[in-house]
Amino acid sequence: MPRIFINGHPVEAEKGQTVLQAALAHGFFIPYFCWHPALSVSGNCRICAVEVEGEDLDIACNMPVREGMRVLTDSEAVQAWRKRMMQFITLNHPVDCGICDKAGECTLQDYHYEYNGEPSVSREPKVHATKFFRLSARVLIDNERCILCSRCVRFTHEVSRSRALGIQNRADSSLVRASEDGRFEDDPYSDNVIDLCPVGALFSPSLLYRHRVWYLQATPSVCPGCARGCTVRIWHRRPDWALHALDGRQNEAIARVTPRENPAVNGPWICNKGRDLARIFERPRATQAMLKGEPVALGTAVDAARRLLEGARRPVALVSNWGSNEELEAFQRALGGRVRAFVKEDFSPAPGEPVEDDLLIRADKNPNTAAARALFGDAPPAFEDGTDLLLVWGEGLDFSRLPTRVPIICLNAYLQPENGHADVFLPVSVQTERAGHYTNFQGVVSAFEPCFAKRDSVAHAESLFAALASPPGPSP
Amino acid sequence: MKHLIPECEALKARLPQGFESTLVLPCLRRVQEERGYVADGDIDALAQYLGVPRVQIEEVLSFYTQFRRQPIGRWHLQACHNVSCSLRGAGSLLDRLRERLGIEPGQTTPDGRFTLSTVECLGSCGTAPVLVVNEVYHESMTPEKLDALLEGLE
Repeated sequence: MPRIFINGHPVEAEKGQTVLQAALAHGFFIPYFCWHPALSVSGNCRICAVEVEGEDLDIACNMPVREGMRVLTDSEAVQAWRKRMMQFITLNHPVDCGICDKAGECTLQDYHYEYNGEPSVSREPKVHATKFFRLSARVLIDNERCILCSRCVRFTHEVSRSRALGIQNRADSSLVRASEDGRFEDDPYSDNVIDLCPVGALFSPSLLYRHRVWYLQATPSVCPGCARGCTVRIWHRRPDWALHALDGRQNEAIARVTPRENPAVNGPWICNKGRDLARIFERPRATQAMLKGEPVALGTAVDAARRLLEGARRPVALVSNWGSNEELEAFQRALGGRVRAFVKEDFSPAPGEPVEDDLLIRADKNPNTAAARALFGDAPPAFEDGTDLLLVWGEGLDFSRLPTRVPIICLNAYLQPENGHADVFLPVSVQTERAGHYTNFQGVVSAFEPCFAKRDSVAHAESLFAALASPPGPSP
Repeated sequence: MKHLIPECEALKARLPQGFESTLVLPCLRRVQEERGYVADGDIDALAQYLGVPRVQIEEVLSFYTQFRRQPIGRWHLQACHNVSCSLRGAGSLLDRLRERLGIEPGQTTPDGRFTLSTVECLGSCGTAPVLVVNEVYHESMTPEKLDALLEGLE
């Protein structure tokens, strides 16, 4: 445990740490662009330089701690260095923050105000480069904004292993480019480079010019795309900045999804499917309760379901593995004694979807199979004779496989043709409208919080189960 | 690139294991010497042979302007336009080349005979201006010497 001094304060560093790591771990901030805790040290941005008393300035990200070393992170020499580095980095930067999506969460912007604050020192015309250059269908690059920190390049070489990005040409003609064989197109983790980019160089074409980050708020959530259950942030319009004109649906739309760092599950990354949660949650929603396809009030449908449950002697339930821990327990508590319940797979891998890899992606494309299996068994290949009621919770079930002439109670959140075939259809809320927990395949439990309000015409499955268990009659 | 593999193997033997990416540069030089340029297929073959990502070979090719991805003319005329050569008349030499060949630096004549390039210092400032034709230095060039030289190039 080498003891070092940072700005005069004694700090117990860990063996093998760099000065930058030791400083950050003990609350001393040192700026950095190219360094990233999960990537190798590149040392090209030079902004993290510190002064070691009695020695020259050098970069902290590549400086191992030595017993007794006295580090200054904010001396006059360091400040002058940082200012010069910022002037160098912004020499050809277009400073187009006004039209840059990164503005508001841009490291370059923050450091510019903190350490430089002056216009470009170059008297030459700025070097121009490609803008909106397509690295893949999901990632564009503005090479004028790029500061060549190489984080994105190292990510594809060290984390996603597609080894698809590189830096072409040299000096001020250098350009981040994808390899010509198109491997970046197939990298299922490619969108992480957008978060990694410390400036506004990398961006997603689907989000371009759609949001200003200061109008957004991030709700902690869990990706339901597979059994890994990566913790994510779902970004959506701040309620206090809700749009009253234009399209009000924007207030309830997912703006973007970013990883929520979690060493127990996903580290700092998520896959591209996790970025596209809007494609799952923003499918057309079922909002109308129905009896055999005829619209009725939610209370009427609940009562009809109660009557079916009360009259059934051998009811069977197929439980959704997209239900949260709370919903699964509520089901077990309310109906577990009266209904034989089995786990149903809501989703299986879609054609073309990466099935499984050794980084994050799991073959089970459902978030809560582990918790569902702990309570209920797997669905049998065929239903027992004498089954006289089916309760189907969730989607992904082919109704033609079900025994004919058995009444069906169906709980689903999305508008699907099966809904109309059920004797009783009850619309339920989706993950972004409620709080809960998922248990991933390793047994790690992660929490999600609601992003949007639920509509009155749909029910939370958790409270619905208790209502279904009470005897028929008008609701109390 | 297949017939170059024994040569590459000899280079490989001189390096410790795991240093395959060091061989990108010498292998590319040999490929270009043989073919005159580096074809897309050569990049794929080399990436596969060395086990390095294709993008790394693309990086090397674009870093060094000496590498070519397209075929060039039979005679590659490289005129230095750095300080010493410019002071000793490289500008008028280049004008003469433009006029005689009808092409700009970076272009190839339609008959495929000549490719004209401008390059930086060739390390022969004492005999400026210098024109390199394929691998041969032609020193202390004058427009007259240039005319005589071009006559002799088929």
